[in-house]
Parts: sequence; structure tokens; C-alpha cells
Amino acid sequence: MAAIGDMFYTWAADADVLKKGECGGAITALQQYALSSGMVDAVLAVRKGADIYDAVPTFITNPAEVAETAGSLHCGTLLLSKLVKDYLDSNKTARLGVTVKGCDTMGLIELAKRDAVDLDRLILLGVNCGGSVSPVLARKMIREKFEVDPDLVHKEEIDKGQFIIEYEGGHKGIKIDDLEDEGYGRRSNCRRCLYKVPRQADLACGNWGVIGDKAGKATFVEVCSKKGANLLDAAVKAGAVKTEPAIPKGIEIRGKVEGAMLNLGNKWRKKNFEALASDLWGTIGRETGRCIKCYSCIENCPVCFPAAEDLKGKSRMVISGEVPPNPMFHLRRFAHISDSCINCGQCEELCPMDIPLALFSHAIRTEGDSAFEPKLGKAPYTN
Amino acid sequence: MNGAKVIYADPRYTATARQADLYMPFVSGSDVAILNGLMQEIIKNGWEDKEFIAKRTKDYEKLKEVVMKDAYSLENVSKISGIPVESLKTAAEWLGTTKPGAILYSMGITQHTVGVDNVKSVANIQMLLGNLGKPGSGVNALRGQNNVQGACDMGALPVVFTAYQKVTDAAVHKKFADAWGFPDGICEPKNGYEVTVMMDVLTDNPGELKCMYIMGENPMLSDPDLNHVRHALESLEFLVVQDIFLTETAEMADVVLPAACYAERNGTQTSTERRVQMWRKAQDPPGEAKEDWQIISELAAKMGYAKQFPYQSAEEIFTEVAAVTPSYHGMNYERLSKPEALHWPCPTLEHPGTPILHKEKFSHPDGLGIFTPIEWKPPAEVPDAEYPFVLTTGRVLWHWHTGSMTRRSATLDAEVPTGWIEINPEDAKALGIKDKEKVRAVTRRGSVEVPAKVTKDIMKGIMFMPFHFAECAANILTNNALDPIAKIPEFKACAVKVEKIMEA
Ligand SMILES: Cc1cc2nc3c(=O)[nH]c(=O)nc-3n(C[C@H](O)[C@H](O)[C@H](O)COP(=O)(O)OP(=O)(O)OC[C@H]3O[C@@H](n4cnc5c(N)ncnc54)[C@H](O)[C@@H]3O)c2cc1C
Ligand code: SF4
Ligand code: SF4
Repeated sequence: MAAIGDMFYTWAADADVLKKGECGGAITALQQYALSSGMVDAVLAVRKGADIYDAVPTFITNPAEVAETAGSLHCGTLLLSKLVKDYLDSNKTARLGVTVKGCDTMGLIELAKRDAVDLDRLILLGVNCGGSVSPVLARKMIREKFEVDPDLVHKEEIDKGQFIIEYEGGHKGIKIDDLEDEGYGRRSNCRRCLYKVPRQADLACGNWGVIGDKAGKATFVEVCSKKGANLLDAAVKAGAVKTEPAIPKGIEIRGKVEGAMLNLGNKWRKKNFEALASDLWGTIGRETGRCIKCYSCIENCPVCFPAAEDLKGKSRMVISGEVPPNPMFHLRRFAHISDSCINCGQCEELCPMDIPLALFSHAIRTEGDSAFEPKLGKAPYTN
Repeated sequence: MNGAKVIYADPRYTATARQADLYMPFVSGSDVAILNGLMQEIIKNGWEDKEFIAKRTKDYEKLKEVVMKDAYSLENVSKISGIPVESLKTAAEWLGTTKPGAILYSMGITQHTVGVDNVKSVANIQMLLGNLGKPGSGVNALRGQNNVQGACDMGALPVVFTAYQKVTDAAVHKKFADAWGFPDGICEPKNGYEVTVMMDVLTDNPGELKCMYIMGENPMLSDPDLNHVRHALESLEFLVVQDIFLTETAEMADVVLPAACYAERNGTQTSTERRVQMWRKAQDPPGEAKEDWQIISELAAKMGYAKQFPYQSAEEIFTEVAAVTPSYHGMNYERLSKPEALHWPCPTLEHPGTPILHKEKFSHPDGLGIFTPIEWKPPAEVPDAEYPFVLTTGRVLWHWHTGSMTRRSATLDAEVPTGWIEINPEDAKALGIKDKEKVRAVTRRGSVEVPAKVTKDIMKGIMFMPFHFAECAANILTNNALDPIAKIPEFKACAVKVEKIMEA
């Protein structure tokens, strides 16, 4: 019987899922099992769309279709939390199995704090996350830095500090550090992210620490909750997945890699935040001075819930029809999310004017956390 | 932006102006004078690209003769345009000493009786600076809609088939006649009337044009001199309008055909950079609405041409377009499905497309770019004692064109519910007009009542009105004077007066 804190190597029993999966297909097999056994009514996972740069969140109710979501899409710069909320809102009693990265998990925690989602109705299959790459930049990077036609690439992964592509006729890896120094690589919020192993999900899964003959063929699973333990036990019992205890040396390696990633994240924080501090008002003023008031940053924020339907009308300081809007348009949003920004990067990624919004709100949150306790209580994650 | 400098010229201090390193408010209609003046200053300082001029262009001496005239000294240009000499000097220096440089322009340059002259002057200064055919350079028209380029490429003009193949060219005419295979042939190889000309023909020569079929356009709000447009459309025997909403124009129609909106249809769109991009349907159209190509095919079938319109999908039509259009010849849906898509010209299936034009040579027979000396001419109507201000018109970010779509959006309507006329505080003071006061704006063509917006964001002597709003339609006031070549109307400059509305 699995217990909280236990660590396993896990892989799919089904040969097809084993092959399609990123690292043995454990997550896919667990999702499939949760759905077919009735533990959940639907699964939310990510499917490959037109190509590997096109990550499409998909709700699935037919267990046979879950296999379509196997594999990791590192250009899937998505945030699933608000989709989960919408699903739970419109399916009043349904339970949902969701594959979550760190930011998806933090988004759901913040929503739960606001009573906007009920975590009891969710099974969260967490994936460790080293970061994601914006699809447009990824294509450019592959063309210019790897000198490979991005349409010929059928697989990409981040492993051992390298961004690696496999394409018709070969594979190539370049050090992430080198790519990022030249402005390519992971999104800027991902570089600063310190939530690498999502221990607030029910299971935390990843490839770090899988060594020996299972390397590349199994997923490292850390059991993080009673619900996670139950799912794993039941899936093993039903023959959906196979497990063996993680090798101690593998556990040690996983800890080291996680530590190295956190160091790297802290290095980026220092770099980004110190640069910002050198001209804080100037930078925020200049950058937000390009705003066209499209409201995308508000719509896509997991913690922004416009209180008034007439948010889009005028207030005393933010008058209507003005572009760029009065700086209060941004200040009031920063104030609103000040102690809950999870640094998921959606505001920044989806801003049509390329304003580095996450940099600002993330800096505010981390500085805030160093001085004050969040109003809704200390978060169970650190970011 | 990697440190690039932005020079911005506009009578209004817009959101773009805020991003600029140098802002030059100027009197609408003085474009050629400004560009000639800048060229004079560039030549005087030896900043012209001598190698480019020698190798890639001709008639430089002719240009020089005109732009070096005293009439285009910075002092004189400053008088015409209202731009301080210092700003003109700085602009010339930045353009002359920072390479490459791009010029981006929009309707502000083209919507004049000298629209073609303005664009040619932009080409002149870019050839002078060698700013053509390389990344970060060029004469870049920012078109007013996502697919104006595509509409023009498809021959939605009265003088050309697709890709600007002339209707008067016998070989081209035969090619299309053969490809389409109509039993009774196609229309004569004769130029047709531009939309703006049609409106004049309708009023000046009643009976010559009997029927009009308007798709996705609302001339009852977007064309100049609306009283004239109404008169013109009323002279028709039969009017068909195809639109997604019952617009002001559709209200006048004998038959309205409900169309599908952008999210309800497949196809391609061609952006201003000549990139042909796929357009994918997200949902079915409501009610009886159909995609444009379906409506046209069904109509053709009713007229006895089912065989010539056998299409089952937008893709089949694109394949036909590619077959008869040299610059689209190498394109197909599979190639266009990539996110980067393709730029025309793309003549063969192997051709990678052409993101940058004129790299090696220009499209004249000898491959050279021709300098066209151009003298500045004032707008067709200039301020006088009776109508003392220049009126210019345009769009605002929140609304699109005649507002048939955007004014139905609650969010956008909350941002900007109606129109206004922008008046400089000094002008307002002289006229005794306060901010938000409803005033009467009058030109030789008509008058509208509209709230005043007193703002220093507009130059003294100039007034601006957005044209989206039927209840205070700017185009009641605008002048139907046309550019002699492009037949584009002078939306950007006419003479106006503003009166206080006296309580009865
Ligand atoms: C962006 C990303 C970065 C990762 N980085 C690391 C890392 O640095 N270290 C590490 O140990 N592990 C990382 N992983 C986890 C690892 O790649 C595998 O997902 C994990 O080992 C499980 O393997 P599996 O074969 O069991 O998964 P599979 O059975 O292949 O299932 C993968 C699941 O991930 C979902 N998914 C795919 N792309 C996304 C996405 N963009 N967002 C949300 N869900 C997605 C799929 O829908 C599916 O449910 C990352 C995963 C992702 C998605
Ligand atoms: S924000 Fe963190 S958890 Fe989310 S994609 Fe980036 S690195 Fe992964
Ligand atoms: S997404 Fe960007 S442009 Fe849109 S409102 Fe937010 S900051 Fe402004």
C-alpha cells in the first residue's frame, strides 16, 4: 500500500501507452484508469494539435481517447486552472482528473482559497516542470539556432540542461543556458519559477531520478496525498500500471537536480529583479505606456476576478475610451493580485503589446511575501 | 526595438505619438512639401545613398531639380506644414544617418486628392536613402483592414483580374475567358468604374447603372459626402446587400443576403506584407447565413451558370486562384497551413515565397527604380474666411469602420459610445466652446451636431472627427474630391467651421 511520501518508478501496462507516453506513459495510464473505473467523470489533458508547437487542452470522457494525450509538449505554455473552474461550474457534480504543471497547481490552489473550485472534485496528476517555451519563439530558435526546419521536428525535450530536438535525420541538443543568454529558450517567468515538483498535486510525476534499466521507460512518482495513494494502489491492483520502488541513488539524483533547478531559478530572479529595481517606476511606466486596454491580462489571470460586471466601463481614475489607459488601470490590477500572483506568465504571454507584466507582478509578490503574510493565509507552495 | 528611433508625423497626438522619439504635428495635406523638404536637407548634407542611386535608380537629376527648389527649404516647408524647422532638421538627420530605416504609412497619406503623389514621394525618399529591398527598410503601407491586400490581389478592383493582370490586356482577357468557360463569354476587355466614380455616375447620369450588389461594405456611412451617397443609391433600380448585420446601406436594399462572419468561414487572408494566411472556421453561421462563396455560387446557378460555379469548398476556389494567378501560382492549402505561411510572389511549388520585394531589382522593365519629381499641391478645399479650419477624419481604436460590428459590442460601446470633434483649446477659446458642449460642424456639403472634445492632443487650426458614428457622421462633411489616378476620396482634409448651437 502506497503512503504519502513514497516514491516509485511507474509505467503503463498497456504496450501502446507505454510507447506513446513521455516516460513510460504512467500518467496516461492513470488518467485512463481513473476514467474507466469511474473515479472521475472526465479527464482534462493536453493533446498535440496541428504539430508539436500546438498544445490543445482537451476534455475527454471516453477512456479510449485518453491515449491521444500521451507525451509532453514543452511548447504548451498553457494554464489550465480557469478551464477547470469553468468545467466544474457547468458540470455541477462531476469529478475531473487533470494533468497539472506547477503553475496549473498553484492556480488551482489560489482558486480553491477563493472558493472558486472544489479540490475534492479533482484528482491532480502533477508533472515536474523545468519550463516551457513559447511556440513562436521555439520555431524561430529551431530555425536559427539549431538550423533545422521546425516542421521536420517530431519531438523536443529539456534534459540534462539541454534543449534537445529529434527530427527526420537526426537529433541535436544545445545548452539551455546558452540559448537563454541569447534571448531564446524558456519563457522569462519559467526561468524564475521555483515550483519544480508539484507536491500539492495528488501525485508528482517526472523523469528526474529514473536510473538503471528503467531510465526513460518509467516515470518517477512521488505520492503527495491520500487521494494520490488510492489512485496508484487501485491502478496497480487493476493491472493498469506497474510500479517498483524508486532506487535510492535515483532519489538522491532527483533531489540534486531539483536543487540545481532552484538555484538556476534564483539566479534569474536576482538578475531580473535587480535590473527592474534599478528603474522601477520608469520601467513600469514605459512598458505599460504601450497598453491598448484589451483586458487580456485580466481575462487570463487565474486570480483576477472582476468584482463588477461594469469593470469595462469607467471608474473615477480610469476613464473610458483612453489609450493607453491611466496607469491606475495597471496599479489596481497589481494591487489586486499583489499577494497571490503565481508567476504563471499568462498575462505577459498573451499581451498583444509584449508588456512584461509577469515580471512586475511576480516582483511585487515576492517582495510582498518577504514582508507580509498573504491575506488569505500563507500559501502551501513557494514561488 | 533595439534602440531604433521613431519619428511620428500626425496632426493628432495619438497613442502611437507617445511612443515616438520625435513627434511632428503637421497640417493635414502638406505631405509632399514635408517629404521634399526632408530630401533637400538630406541632399544638402550628402546623406543620400550614392551607390544605390547610381546602380538601382534613374531620373535622380529630375528629382533633385524639384526638391532643391527654394520652395522646399526647411523654412518654407515649416510655414506650409506647421512643423518647426528644428524638428524637420532632426528628422532629416536621423533618416540620413541611421540605416536602414522604414517608412510606415496609412490612410493619412493616401486619402487625399494627391494620394498617389504622397506615396510616390515616400518612394522617392526611400530610394534616395537606399532604404529598399532589405530587412528593416521599405515603403510600408499599413492597410486599413486585415484583407484589403487580399481583396485587391483577387481583382476586386474595376481594372484588373487577379494579381493586377489588366482587364484590357487581350492575352489576359482570353486566359480568363478560357479558364472560366462561360458559354456567352465574359465582360468586355474594358475598365470599369471605381466605387467612388459609380456614385457620381449614378447621380450625374441616371439610368446608366441600374443595379448594385454590395458585399460587406456600408457606404452609407463610410463614403464621403453621405447626402450624395444616399441620392446615388436611391437612383438605383435594384440594390442587393450582403452583410452580417442590417447596416444603414442594407436598410436601403431591395434584397439582403445574410452572410457568415469571419469566425464562420474558411479561406485565406492576405496581409499588408503580402503574407497569405489560412483562415479557419470556428463555428457554423447562424440561421440562413452562408459563406460568401456559397451565396455567389447559388446565385450563379439561379442565373444559369451552375457549371461555372461548381465549388464544394473554399479550398477548390483557392486552387483555381493559384492556377490563374502568377504570384500565387506556387501556393496551396498544404503549404499555407504552416504558421509562417507564404508571401507572394510565389511562382512555383518549390519557391519559398518573397518576404522582401525589390532585393535586386525593381519591377520596371529595366529593373530600375524611377524617381518622380513631384510638386506640392494643396488639398482640393482649403480653409478660407467662411470655413476657417481643416477637418480630418479617421478611426479610433475601439471601433471599426462604420461600427456595424463594434458598436454592437457592449464592452466597446462602454469605452466609446459616440463620436466627437476634437478642437484645440486655443481654437475652442476663440469660438467660446467648452469641452463636451454639443456644437454644429458645417462644411459646404452638410452639417452635423456633435460633442466637442477640447484637447491639446490636436493641433491648432485642425479638427478631427472619427467616422464610425451614424448619429454624428463625419462623412456628411467630407469632400468627395478624388485622387485622379487612384480615385480615392479626400477624407483627410477639407474646410470646416464650427458653430455654437443657440437655444431657440
Ligand atoms: C512542460 C513540461 C515540462 C516538464 N519538465 C520536466 C522536468 O524538467 N523534469 C521532470 O522530471 N519532468 C518534467 N516533465 C514531466 C515529464 O516530461 C513527463 O510528463 C512525466 O515524466 C510523466 O511521463 P509519462 O510518460 O507518465 O507521461 P504521459 O503518459 O506521456 O502523459 C503526459 C501528460 O502530460 C500532459 N501534458 C503534456 N504537455 C503538457 C503541458 N504543456 N501542460 C500540461 N500538461 C501537459 C499530457 O496531456 C499527459 O496527460 C515536464 C512535463 C511538461 C509537460
Ligand atoms: S511557470 Fe513554472 S510550472 Fe508553469 S510552465 Fe513555467 S516552469 Fe513550468
Ligand atoms: S494584456 Fe497588455 S495590452 Fe492588454 S490590457 Fe493587459 S497590459 Fe494592456
